[in-house]
Amino acid sequence: MTLLIIGIYGLLTKQRLLKILISIELIATAASMNFVLLASSLNKTMGQAFLILAFSTDTCVTGIVLALLILISKKYGTADIRKLAELEWREAVENEKDKNTTDGVDG
Amino acid sequence: MGLVVSAFLAVYLDEAVYSVASIASTLILVALLYSLNGASYAAVFQLGMSAGTIAILFLSGETLSKKITQRGSLRKTFAVTVVAILLSIPSIIFSTGTTSAIASSEVSFPEALWNLRSIDIVLQGLVVMTVALGVAIVLYSKKEGDN
Repeated sequence: MTLLIIGIYGLLTKQRLLKILISIELIATAASMNFVLLASSLNKTMGQAFLILAFSTDTCVTGIVLALLILISKKYGTADIRKLAELEWREAVENEKDKNTTDGVDG
Repeated sequence: MGLVVSAFLAVYLDEAVYSVASIASTLILVALLYSLNGASYAAVFQLGMSAGTIAILFLSGETLSKKITQRGSLRKTFAVTVVAILLSIPSIIFSTGTTSAIASSEVSFPEALWNLRSIDIVLQGLVVMTVALGVAIVLYSKKEGDN
C-alpha cells in the first residue's frame, strides 16, 4: 500500500520522464507484491504463476516508455514533460499563424 | 522499512544514478521479501527481471538525462528519510504473518505453470516479442528519418 502511494506521489509530482518511469515501476511492483504475498499467506502457488503475467506486462510497459523517452529526448532535447507541453503548444501556435498567413496570401 | 525508504528516495532524489540505485535496492528487497515468505520462484523471477530493468534504467539515466548542477542539502535528504520511515510504520504495524506456501500447497508451482497456465505463458512470450519488435521498428524508422 505504501509503495503504491509513493508511486502515485511520484507520478503526480515529478516532471522528468525517467522519474515517471520509476514511479510506474514502483506501482507495478506494489501490485505484484500484494498479489504474491496474499497468495503466499493463503498457501496458494497460483499467485506465483500469475506473477509471470504481471512481469510480462511490466516489461512491455517499460519497453514502450523507454522507446518514448529516447524518441522525445532526441526530437526535443529534453525529457521534462512541462517543457514538452510548452514546446507542443508553441508549435501549434506557429502552425496556426503559418496557416493564417498562407490563407491571407491566397485570399 | 528499508523497502519503503529506498522507494521514497528513488522518487525523491534528483540525480538519476542515485535514483536508479535506490530503485535497484527496492527491487532486491522485494525479492528478499518474496523469499522470506516462501515464494522462492517469485523471488528468482523478481531478481532476474530487476537485473534487466536496472541495467536499462542505468544506461538511459546516464545517457539521456542532464546532470544536476545544484546539490540538495543533506538536511533535506535526512528529513525525507525520516518521512519515509514514518510512512513505513503503518505497514509494519498492520503486517500479517505469513507461512510457507510450498509446504502445504495443493498444486505445485511447475504444475500450476505448465498444466494450468500453459497457453497464457506462450501468449505472454508472443506479446513481449511483439512489443520488442514494435519498439525496434519505431526506433529504426526514426533513425532512417534522421538520416
